[in-house]
Amino acid sequence: MTDTELRELCHRFFDAIERSDYDAVAQLYAPEFRMWVNLTDTESSAEENLAVLRDGARLHRRRTYDDRIIDTFERGFVVQYSVNVVTHSGARTSLCACVVAQCRNGRITRIDEYLDAGKFAPRADARTRSRGKSA
Amino acid sequence: MNMSDGEIRELCNRFFDAYQDRHVDELADIYAPDCIVWHNVFGRETTGTDNLAALPASYQGQRRRTYNDRIINTFDGGFVIQYTLHGVQHSGHQGALWICIVGLCKDGKITRIDEYMDSGKFPAWRGRGKSDAMEEKAR
Repeated sequence: MTDTELRELCHRFFDAIERSDYDAVAQLYAPEFRMWVNLTDTESSAEENLAVLRDGARLHRRRTYDDRIIDTFERGFVVQYSVNVVTHSGARTSLCACVVAQCRNGRITRIDEYLDAGKFAPRADARTRSRGKSA
Repeated sequence: MNMSDGEIRELCNRFFDAYQDRHVDELADIYAPDCIVWHNVFGRETTGTDNLAALPASYQGQRRRTYNDRIINTFDGGFVIQYTLHGVQHSGHQGALWICIVGLCKDGKITRIDEYMDSGKFPAWRGRGKSDAMEEKAR
């Protein structure tokens, strides 16, 4: 996949999650897709991940994936981003995360996600980070 | 001048080998003068100079640290590395953290580091998880 194709795939993935379009997310996962998260050090399948995404979306009024800084490599991409969440109570929270994705034939075969559990609680001083490089 | 895939990988491994072996002078040579280090846990940027100044005290926290299972991918102007940080505390407790770093490079030096880890793993890393829980229970 080219640099442009990988960047497009990355944006399609996060855009689909933002609008809670899990059928579109499923289309982006390869059959052998695996997801690993640093919080639990466990791997899950596409079906398991989609269930987590659906459950997670119910917890919030809105969730946006902003400030995406994407770099592509031979078989995938790394994206650094801010997740900005508005809860049903109106509280806002933000955390900076990083995903390393492996891709093949227009689909994502593996995601490794790095988060900080310490940032899950709403923070008054939540802010984003940018290194001033366009995605 | 653009760095090749090989040069970027070599720089990345030099950086982690120097960190592991506590060669602060080598790290100073690897950081560009304007290097910035950002951590997701603290949410703030520090200079390479500040980062280096904090290292001797930081190293005193553990008997040994090793940077293992390095998976490196390079892109135009940098690298992303996923690794396991294994630490042996002075108590003998062994802990691990799974970390991802995005590094930007130019002219053979690292100009920026963005580090991602889970602070929720710090008690288990330090080996204080059990005692913390007991203290909490006692309160």
